[in-house]
This record gives sequence, structure tokens and C-alpha cells, in this order.
Amino acid sequence: MAPSLDLANLPDADVVKLAQQGREAAFRELLRRYERPVFSLIFRMVRDREISEDLAQDTFIKVLNHIDRYRPEFKLSSWLFKIANNVAIDHLRKRQLDTISIDGSPHAATAAEVEATSFDLTARQESALEEMEARELGSAIERAIARLRPEYRSCIMLRHVEGRSYEEIAATLDLPLGTVKTYIHRARHELREALERVKGPG
Amino acid sequence: MEHRHLLPDEIDQLLDGEAGFGVAPLLAHVENCPKCRADLAEARQMVSALERMPHFAPSPLFRDRVMTQVQVFEPWHVSALDTAKRWLPASRPTRFIGLAATSVFALIVSLSAVWMAVRLDAFLFFFDLAGQRVRAALFDSLGGAIASTFGSTAVDALRTGGVAAVAGVTSFLVVVVLAAVGLRALVATARRRRAT
Repeated sequence: MAPSLDLANLPDADVVKLAQQGREAAFRELLRRYERPVFSLIFRMVRDREISEDLAQDTFIKVLNHIDRYRPEFKLSSWLFKIANNVAIDHLRKRQLDTISIDGSPHAATAAEVEATSFDLTARQESALEEMEARELGSAIERAIARLRPEYRSCIMLRHVEGRSYEEIAATLDLPLGTVKTYIHRARHELREALERVKGPG
Repeated sequence: MEHRHLLPDEIDQLLDGEAGFGVAPLLAHVENCPKCRADLAEARQMVSALERMPHFAPSPLFRDRVMTQVQVFEPWHVSALDTAKRWLPASRPTRFIGLAATSVFALIVSLSAVWMAVRLDAFLFFFDLAGQRVRAALFDSLGGAIASTFGSTAVDALRTGGVAAVAGVTSFLVVVVLAAVGLRALVATARRRRAT
């Protein structure tokens, strides 16, 4: 007997076409391919496993229930990451983690203006819960990333964890290319400083 | 390039592997400047650590939870096609053999149907002959029992009734047996319920 539809070797666009025809196996294949990257992005933004699962679930439900709107000239992964980033940022805005900056002026057009019109809540000493979260997240680099602003965090993760180009990140996050480069540059700078502090002098 | 260390932007340029005229002087400076070489190495280490960061996995039931909220409507023709494909053998030679065997079987059945249609009289003769043989066997085995139950009139009716009579008696006997079995099952169930 022939095996059921072999989807693992098909490109995303073909799997999406099968999903648009109503094949449940195609939906599950898309989930299988992207559940980890999407969940990881959200988890590193939100730092709460249960909430991250809920947000990742919302992301996939939004995308899969509107799979008929997918346009093949764009990458499915970009669409997924865009929605994942938006749900994570929305959640953080509601929650206002202590490492997040309060949004700058709505009229700010460039990254420099956003920074000039916003302020950071000073990071307080880690609580026991945060220490536990940090242990779960593991290495120093994870802890350093957790301290970045959400905008910087999503850019640096899309660049180096997901391997996206600057142009793809700009399209995914609906940001100008220059802003993406600025965010990544600043994220790298802050990460280097944080890692130097961990290493200590000498 | 002036005698200065690399700016953070320039280190980023080298990290991103950008090509172009501006990069060559930076690379040349790095070769001759231990501090910038160390800074660049450190930056590369950091990027490497970022690139090695693992993907976290959601819980094992994540996919099922998502699928319960995704509206999947598979048209009937898509399901039928998928089901048909599942019954096809995996390898080409097996598919070819299957197709050949199915074709031969279909040909035999078609030829038999054509023969029966053409030689219907012969077919009916053989059918009647078979019916007579079955009747004779039934009378031999059950004649005594039928006579004692229904009387000799019933036996005469069966002898002259033909296939319809045989079918009627057989159906009657089957119904009686099924009724007996069903009644026995009912009694057993009732006894079990009373016991509990």
C-alpha cells in the first residue's frame, strides 16, 4: 500500500497549496516545520512558557485559518514571524516587563527619535522568579538577549537565529531597512557589553 | 585608512561579510591591529553563539490543540482521491502487476457475462438442474422431518414447487434458527441483569 501524502520534501509553497485544498496533512506539516522557530521567537520575547504557547497557538490559528490569503511571492515563514512578533509585542505592551522601554512618541519616524522620546525602566535586581527563568533559558547569551528591548530582540533573533537577511527582516517587521540595521547594530553592541560584564574585568 | 581603531559600524560591516571597496581597508587594518583583531574575533564569537542558539519545542500536544481550532474542510473528491492513492501499491512493478491482474479479472468477468447473456438458455438449464439436485438432497435429508412437522401435503408441495418452494422453505428455516438464537441471547441477557 502506498504511504500517505509525502509532504516533508515539498517546498512551503506546494504544502500551502495542498492546505488551501483542505488537506489536513498539509496543515500539520506546516505546523511541524514552524512550531519550533515560532515558539522560540515568542518564548525569547515573552520569557513565559505557558503564555508563549498560547501566543504561538494564536499565531498559527490566525495563519492557518486564513491560508487562502497567502501569496506565493512572499515567504510563508516571513508571514508567520510577522504575526508571531506582533502578538509577542502586543503582549509585552500589555504586560510591560521591566526591561521593555515604554513606547516613544507615536510621531517618531526613526530609531533615534523613538529612543529620544522614550525611557527605560531601570532593570531591578533579578527576583527569584527571574533567576529561575534565566536558568531555564540557560546561557549568558540567552540572559543577555532577555535584557534587550523587544524591537532589538526580534531583529537580532531573526538575523542570527533564523538566518534572515536585512531586507527580509525589514519586510517581515514592516520596518525601514535603515531601522533594522540600526536595531541590529545596537543589539550587538548591548549584547557585547552584557557579555563583557559577565566575563568580568581582565 | 586613518590611524584609528575600527568603529562599531565597521565591525558590523565585517561581521555581515559585506563586500565592496570600503571593506578592503578595514580588513587590512584588522590584520595589523591586535586590538581590532581581538574585537572582531569577540564579535564573531558572539554571533556564533547567537547562531547556535537552539529552537525551543512547545509541549507535545501543541499541534493537536492548534488543529482543534483550525477550520479544515476537505472536499469529498480530495478525500476519495487520497483514499484511492493509499490503496495503490508503493512500487511501480507492483502497481503494474496489480493493474495487469485487475485487467485480466475484469476481462474474465466481462466474457462470462457476455457468454451468459448469449447462452441464456443453457445457463437456465444448468441452473434448473442444480436446483433439482439441491431439492433432491433436501428431501433425502429433511423429508422425514418436514413430513412429521408439516404433513405429507407439504412434502408434495415442495416436490412440485420448484426453486421458489425450496427458497421459501430455506428462508423459513433460517428465520426459525435466528429467532431461536436471538431468544436465547435475550434470555441470557435478562438472567445477567437479574443477577446484577
